[in-house]
Amino acid sequence: MSRAVWTGVTFATLVGLGWSSSPALLPAVTASPEGVATAHAPRPSAADLSETVDQYCVRCHSDRRLTGNLSLEGFRVEAAAEQPETTERMINKLRAAMMPPPGARRPAGDTLLALTETLEDVVDRAAASQPNPGTRRFQRLNRPEYEAAIEDVLGIKVDASNWLPQDMLLANFDNMAVAQTLSSTLLEAYLTAANDVSRLALGHSEAAPTSETYRVPVYQSQHAWDQVDGAPYGTRGGIVVDHHFPASGEYVFDVSLWAGDIARNEDLDISIDGERVDLVELEVLFRYDLGPDWTMQTKPIFIEGGQRRVAVSFIRNVDGPYDDVLEPHDWSLAGTREPVEYGVTLLPHLRDMTIIGPTNPRASSATEARERIFSCRPSVPEEVQPCAEEIVTRLARRAYRRPLTEQDTEGLMSLFESGLGEGGFEIGIRTAIEGILASPHFIFRLEAEPEGLRAGETFDLDDLALASRLSFFLWGSPPDEELVRVADEGRLSGDELERQVRRMLADPRSEALATRFASQWLRLPDLERVRPDAFWFPYFYEQLGQDMRHETELFFEHLVREDRSLFELYEADYTFLNRRLAAHYGIPATLGEDFERVAYPEGMPRKGILGHGSVLMLTSMGNRTSPVLRGKWVMEVLLNTPPPPPPPNVPELDEVGEADGTRMLTTREKLEQHRANPTCNACHRFMDPIGIALENFDVTGRWRLRENGVPVDTQGELYDGTEVSSPVDLMDALLERPVPLVRTFATNLMAYALGRRIEYYDQPTIRAIADEAAQNEYRMSSFILGVVNSDAFQQKVSLGATTDAAQSN
Amino acid sequence: MFLTGRNIHRRTFLRGAGASVALPFLDAMVPAGRRGGVGNGSDEADPTRLVCIEEVHGVAGCNTWGHEQGLFAPSTVGRDFEIHPDSCLEPLEAWRDQMTIISNTDVRMAEAFDSREIGGDHFRSSVVFLTQSHPKQTQGSDIYAGTSIDQLHAQRFGRDNALPSLQLCIESLNQSGGCWYNYHCAYTDSISWASPTDPLPMVRDPRVAFDMIFGAGGTEEERATRRRTNASILDWVTGEIGALKRQLGTHDRVEMDRYLEGVREVERKIQMVEAYNTSGEAREIPEAPAGVPDSFTEHMEIMFDLQVMALQTDLTRVISFKTGRDASNRIFPESESDTAFHAASHHGGREESILEFNKISRYRMGQMAYFLEKLDQATEGDQTLLDKTAIVWGSPMGDANLHNHRRCPLVLFGGGNGALTGNLHIKAPDGTPMANTFVSLMQALGHDDIESFGDSTGEMPISYAGGAAATAQAEAR
Repeated sequence: MSRAVWTGVTFATLVGLGWSSSPALLPAVTASPEGVATAHAPRPSAADLSETVDQYCVRCHSDRRLTGNLSLEGFRVEAAAEQPETTERMINKLRAAMMPPPGARRPAGDTLLALTETLEDVVDRAAASQPNPGTRRFQRLNRPEYEAAIEDVLGIKVDASNWLPQDMLLANFDNMAVAQTLSSTLLEAYLTAANDVSRLALGHSEAAPTSETYRVPVYQSQHAWDQVDGAPYGTRGGIVVDHHFPASGEYVFDVSLWAGDIARNEDLDISIDGERVDLVELEVLFRYDLGPDWTMQTKPIFIEGGQRRVAVSFIRNVDGPYDDVLEPHDWSLAGTREPVEYGVTLLPHLRDMTIIGPTNPRASSATEARERIFSCRPSVPEEVQPCAEEIVTRLARRAYRRPLTEQDTEGLMSLFESGLGEGGFEIGIRTAIEGILASPHFIFRLEAEPEGLRAGETFDLDDLALASRLSFFLWGSPPDEELVRVADEGRLSGDELERQVRRMLADPRSEALATRFASQWLRLPDLERVRPDAFWFPYFYEQLGQDMRHETELFFEHLVREDRSLFELYEADYTFLNRRLAAHYGIPATLGEDFERVAYPEGMPRKGILGHGSVLMLTSMGNRTSPVLRGKWVMEVLLNTPPPPPPPNVPELDEVGEADGTRMLTTREKLEQHRANPTCNACHRFMDPIGIALENFDVTGRWRLRENGVPVDTQGELYDGTEVSSPVDLMDALLERPVPLVRTFATNLMAYALGRRIEYYDQPTIRAIADEAAQNEYRMSSFILGVVNSDAFQQKVSLGATTDAAQSN
Repeated sequence: MFLTGRNIHRRTFLRGAGASVALPFLDAMVPAGRRGGVGNGSDEADPTRLVCIEEVHGVAGCNTWGHEQGLFAPSTVGRDFEIHPDSCLEPLEAWRDQMTIISNTDVRMAEAFDSREIGGDHFRSSVVFLTQSHPKQTQGSDIYAGTSIDQLHAQRFGRDNALPSLQLCIESLNQSGGCWYNYHCAYTDSISWASPTDPLPMVRDPRVAFDMIFGAGGTEEERATRRRTNASILDWVTGEIGALKRQLGTHDRVEMDRYLEGVREVERKIQMVEAYNTSGEAREIPEAPAGVPDSFTEHMEIMFDLQVMALQTDLTRVISFKTGRDASNRIFPESESDTAFHAASHHGGREESILEFNKISRYRMGQMAYFLEKLDQATEGDQTLLDKTAIVWGSPMGDANLHNHRRCPLVLFGGGNGALTGNLHIKAPDGTPMANTFVSLMQALGHDDIESFGDSTGEMPISYAGGAAATAQAEAR
């Protein structure tokens, strides 16, 4: 099916928006289902279309009824640009074919399409003559960006949640400037982080002993043939963590176990960076009277300081068929009410692991971080200053994402001096690093504004600011040397900008577009909130949930990496699976622990993102599917047409156990009771049929034919009248109208890239990006370049001269 | 757990102590000099400690039927009220002398003011609890609500403490998509507002909170080193900000100035801790807790431990504590209900479902017993910390099934340095704003000049004498 979409955007509009490359005019072909004729037939006049609005919209959207808080009384199409916000709301609903609502009268033929296109034309033309790139406050490094920046500067992996407050989400993302309020709590958090991180990086010869506990998620399978990712081969269960050993010294590993009362002869392997450091042998007979948890300690083990991967796992001593008399849910602890109840299996499970130490600490010798930091070592006093300056300026340049000024160097060197006086060269370097990490130049992504601008005037971001925008957008991390160099030379524009974008997309770091952007857009973090009820879904366990998230992220990463069409996101006949997930989906494929691209077998009812276990599960409740949540997800996430809030006094659907006297009801049947109410139905007729079409997928995304013993009925009628009864039908129906899908994607991509919400005045840009993408077969690079080349990405609006408030400090 | 020279295992210790959770913070904590006590009532030198605790989703007993069953407010008023055995207050029966129940007040500033706001209650309520102000509906930088009572108290009485106030929470903020219906997440995520435009972040990780209270670093020596370094870094940062501001636009400069205030705030804290440390009081700081526990009870107890420590060491006198996030679907297995929190709150008015929700209300409310006990065990002079503290426990929602904000639950615990008599149930006349209670409470805590707050219409006595009169008035209607 051709994806070319006819639009009314003119060349002039694109130029007016500051488009860098000249797009050829779109061919006047269309696969638009509303009718091929539109492109050729003369459009109705604006006055006629105003009449259409009056006839078909104003009955509900009147001053009196204000349905949806919108009145279109007196709305004139030719003057649509005077009410751009209202117009954009209309365009959004019209493009989605959600208005006029199902059941209401609709004008004949292509009138609605003509109306939509005319509205777009009018607004786009006005925007071209008065572009508004928007503005926002500077951003600060959020948790994931902080982690990436630390890894970039110092080469160590840290967990920012140890210090920084939680990132507040807004408009789907965690990097929105307006949600990043500043406070003394935040400052102190960055300061403590700077203290800790500098010590982690350098090692800490006087580190005081501490203990750090890692818990094993209760849903994690510790089954005889479920190895935890990163644990040595030949082991089962346990836990793998990246731990910072603050100094070289002796550490004790303390493990606590759950076990049945006759378990014996189990060995726990403790490995550091893949090498066994100890084997804890459990030869005793477990006994009830020892209490529900059982702890053991290793002898003190000498470990070289630095970041190490610690794996604690059971030696697998079972092969072939294995039957546990007290079989727990997939050998996880799901269903136990820790710590209320006792473990449920004969097989010992690891509950948590604590690392205690160091005792007899001494400075770490060679860690990667130290090698990176100490590029020189002073051997005579005269070398102290130059060497320190070499180290400090090199690190600060990375951290500040720009070349240093003299003042920068002076300030940091004064911190070095004070540390030097206090404890010698190393302490001097450490103090300077603490300063770098506490500096506003590191914490904030500041964007300079030229002096003397009037309010409303736009200005170009300088190349260095642009470089940071670019790298945090594409990599979720600071710009590398090359990008900073190109920017510093003032060459980050035109062809060179595009060359840099393509280079960055080819770099492995662009996986952040999957793990940060797509993951948040598609709401994958919500997976952690759904705990499938172990009674109904005994086949679910922790690793499977992680696999699902991984599947979607890998899939999206593949689209970016291979520069595929956006539409593969919706209709790909392949995905990425490992052994567990393939088995879960019922796909016969020979796979191991690693994910591979797998084509769905012929006739498989899975297609694109709506076949992913991740999306299907994150839109479910723990004990039942939710067609409402699934429908809402499609409307919000894919179509950008969120339903209004439900009235408060709506009861939750009855739980799965409910019956009508003879048998248990299906989710659909219960939903229908709910929809008998006309108030509910006004919105649920949009949401429910979408979700109903997906009812063959259970809570965990597994295919099912029956629910509560009754065949699942997936028949329904979408808001546009299309009959759908399967996930494939549903996707086909959505793809009949690609514009909302494309624009929604572009909108989210741009919001994430800019760190601000997309407003009505951004819509002409969104349309231009979508149209440009249409020219390029909807390739991912086209969307990404579209965002990067937009005025909104490269410019800001000034708020004018300094106010008194700002001067007072 | 590390003790010098000898390694007593943490869990061994806990098992020996019979505690299900947490570290034996308290005994090691009391500064020697404080044991003698300094407090003698509610004079200026000894401002009353204020702890504000928010419950989301109201309680089952604020539904009409739930109320009739006595699931929250006692059926009798005044002294010696009777708590129904099913009431969510029943687990706190032993603390009735420290309990002032104020029933039947409204939080109408959390209601929708126009049609655009209808349905957005979950995203708007939390900010209203302590501000009693109606938040401006926006997702932009123009957020606006009110100043919260904890901050009013901190701004007046918290300046002599290292931390003017402390903000803690239990739930993670990571609801994908953010906050809906055009409400900024700050309204949902923070109950502490330093000004109508200044929400304060709430700390969820006990370890992070611990570091905030005591300073990070394993030993006192290490902490002192860090304080020294940080003082010079902050000094330098101040200069950096001054220099870089020149390159910024107006908006950014204003933000940077606010950040600079934060810098000064942290500098002040470092100086105060320095001064405190050189005052000659011997102190021992307990080991920092590990990260966020899975269990709600365990998390609550660690957070309560931290609060008791912060109050007892006088590092702060003002705390706000958010115990949930609106629309959270967390399941609390220990409540004996396996229904998700938000789903359970939409009980549809069915008796069976209300009782199910009540299990959760009881369980969550019941956590207070631990806090009250710890505060009661901590003494200062001849008084307990509980006597010297005022605790506001309440919810900006009443019957969460209807998202309504009428007849919301509110309980004041502790003696409030003499401001609260306890053993009292006051039923407010219908239509009384919760803000009236806050006016009277704040006055009793030393804010003589507060005559109105939020949507208050007057005062609302909180002690026995006045409370009895108000109750009589309510009964008469």
